[in-house]
Amino acid sequence: MLALEASLSEAQFCAAVGQLKADASKRAVLAELLRENNPVYDERGTAAVVRMRGWILLAIAELGLTEPELLYVLEELDNGHDAYLVAAAARALRTYATPAPVFAQLLLRALGNMRSRDDVVSLTTYGGYTIVEGSTARQEILRTFAWLGAAAREALPELEAMRGEAGFSAALKQELGLAIGAIGAACAEGAEPHDCCSPQADAWKPAPGAAPLNMQTVTLEDQDGRRIGFRELFTGKSSVVAFFYTRCTNPRKCSLTIEKLARVQRLLREKGFGDRIQTAAITYDPAFDLPDRLRAYGASRGLTMDDNNRMLRTVRGMAALRGYFQLGVNFIESVVNRHRIEVHVLNPRGEIAASFERIEWDEAAVVDTAIAAQQTGTA
Amino acid sequence: MATKKPRRSTAKPAARKKAKPASVPAMDTKMALALAANPKKSIAQRVAAAVQLTRTACDDAQLFDEILAVLKDGTVPSPVRLAVLQALQAATFSSPVFDICRPAYLSALRALVKDPDKELRQRVLGILAREHDGYTQQLLLEGLRDPKKAVVPAEKALQLLSYDVHSDAYPVAREIVRNPPNQRARREALRLLAADANSVGMFETILGNKKEAPEVRQLSASALHSLAPKKLQDMARKIVLDKRDDHKVKATSLTALASFGSDSIARDKPLIAKVERLEGNAASSAVKRGANQFLSKYRP
Repeated sequence: MLALEASLSEAQFCAAVGQLKADASKRAVLAELLRENNPVYDERGTAAVVRMRGWILLAIAELGLTEPELLYVLEELDNGHDAYLVAAAARALRTYATPAPVFAQLLLRALGNMRSRDDVVSLTTYGGYTIVEGSTARQEILRTFAWLGAAAREALPELEAMRGEAGFSAALKQELGLAIGAIGAACAEGAEPHDCCSPQADAWKPAPGAAPLNMQTVTLEDQDGRRIGFRELFTGKSSVVAFFYTRCTNPRKCSLTIEKLARVQRLLREKGFGDRIQTAAITYDPAFDLPDRLRAYGASRGLTMDDNNRMLRTVRGMAALRGYFQLGVNFIESVVNRHRIEVHVLNPRGEIAASFERIEWDEAAVVDTAIAAQQTGTA
Repeated sequence: MATKKPRRSTAKPAARKKAKPASVPAMDTKMALALAANPKKSIAQRVAAAVQLTRTACDDAQLFDEILAVLKDGTVPSPVRLAVLQALQAATFSSPVFDICRPAYLSALRALVKDPDKELRQRVLGILAREHDGYTQQLLLEGLRDPKKAVVPAEKALQLLSYDVHSDAYPVAREIVRNPPNQRARREALRLLAADANSVGMFETILGNKKEAPEVRQLSASALHSLAPKKLQDMARKIVLDKRDDHKVKATSLTALASFGSDSIARDKPLIAKVERLEGNAASSAVKRGANQFLSKYRP
């Protein structure tokens, strides 16, 4: 079997995924391949990463979606903006063992995300490009609604309202009608949806006893050009740390993350923790996101910037920072080729107390977690 | 009495007037499409009809498919196909329901990326490149790596790839800077690399090299301003102080110092003295203007 590494051509990658599909003992590798920081994505352009990830999702759809892969599929529906990946994710979700109500909201969100980004894709050829036949992301999403059946009951009013909307073609309205019909029929039969799984990533803590990485080598620079060490900045009080970069083209990722961080700041002030808990937005793209750019990006999204709330870039120790947070990001040279949404809560010792990853996170939940981390202190 | 022969005019033939664009009455999509597709009508009439497709292009799925068929039909005269494309482009903004048609539209455009009509091909690639279309990026990169597969000139491919910083274009752009097929391609490669933080050293070298064309050095100054503004300020100062440097690059440097320089420049007496001399004596009006701009901010 070909080693899955950065030097593989896309044709070799495609063949390797075919080998993985055929070997049940290698099933876990498919989920591993969906991590952004997997070396197979090193030094690939974003379009190549999209082709590769789409192919993995379709392989998973053929084999049947399982628990380790589920969050990646839900992530794509929640905030993906590439029609090929969203279509592949919607297709894969239909192969999960159990339809669950929580999927309906994410499918509705995906329909909204794809409204002005829909495209014809091929779900049988590598890369998804087609100039002939294919399906669209919104078609696949609606077919997944039909699969959800009674589990999509709560989404019925919104789906019904879409019947009268101008943004649906006759073909899509037909799929919409089928979905509504399937949901209605399942509800009429008295099917009870199985309430499983929360799409919110479980908070995780570093393994007990794990040796801390050497963060003393990490130096950050803020939006005013002031430099500070990681330890100096992040010890003494709890912190909410979000990652982003100014050249992100997905409005549901970085731009939204910073807007939500601004709301976290407001909630902290309202609860009397504005000075006791700090916020930090750290860029994945330190070479390009110079202080003036950081400042402009934060200001245009309503972010407060002061000694307790900073936008930061790494001037030294980026590798250590990536390792410390296990950042879900990869690069082609210095440019991000793919990243996840990630917000971390640090305790007053600078240790990661909780992480909110991939799916849109709730500001109030992050604030409550940060307050708990602050109040328990070093306990 | 012999009749006089009519005098032959000695006036020059009237300059060939540009044909007036045909005007056609306002009509519905079906009629406009029928006229645009009608080979018996003049090109001007067909173009005028195609323009009318903007308003209602996306209202009917079947008609939209027929519009796309005209666009894709290689036997339709180029001006008509271009007019149809223009109407569709306008519809993406003006039609409130264009989202419905977007998948079919993009699919049709991809079918045209290798069309024999050069202007149509380039416009289609431009639209797709602005969509950050992976298929298009792959095609353009392939053409840069292997010119036999190129569908547009290298400089055009680089320009289109520069719309997306996430395209895998930096390595091939650097190679083109080193070994350009032509100077236009080299300039476009430099423009593309203006978003590459790893290219700061290259831009410093180019800006500091008086053997480089002034336009290329100015382009490098602009890139440095984006990637490493302090380095640009340092280099701009040196260029202004250098009596033998090019006047265009000097003017650019003065503008950079005036627009983005720090307050500490007000204490830089040698620089201010030099700029005062330039304001009075420079042969270049651009340098004088730049000097004036600088001094309006920093003159003691």
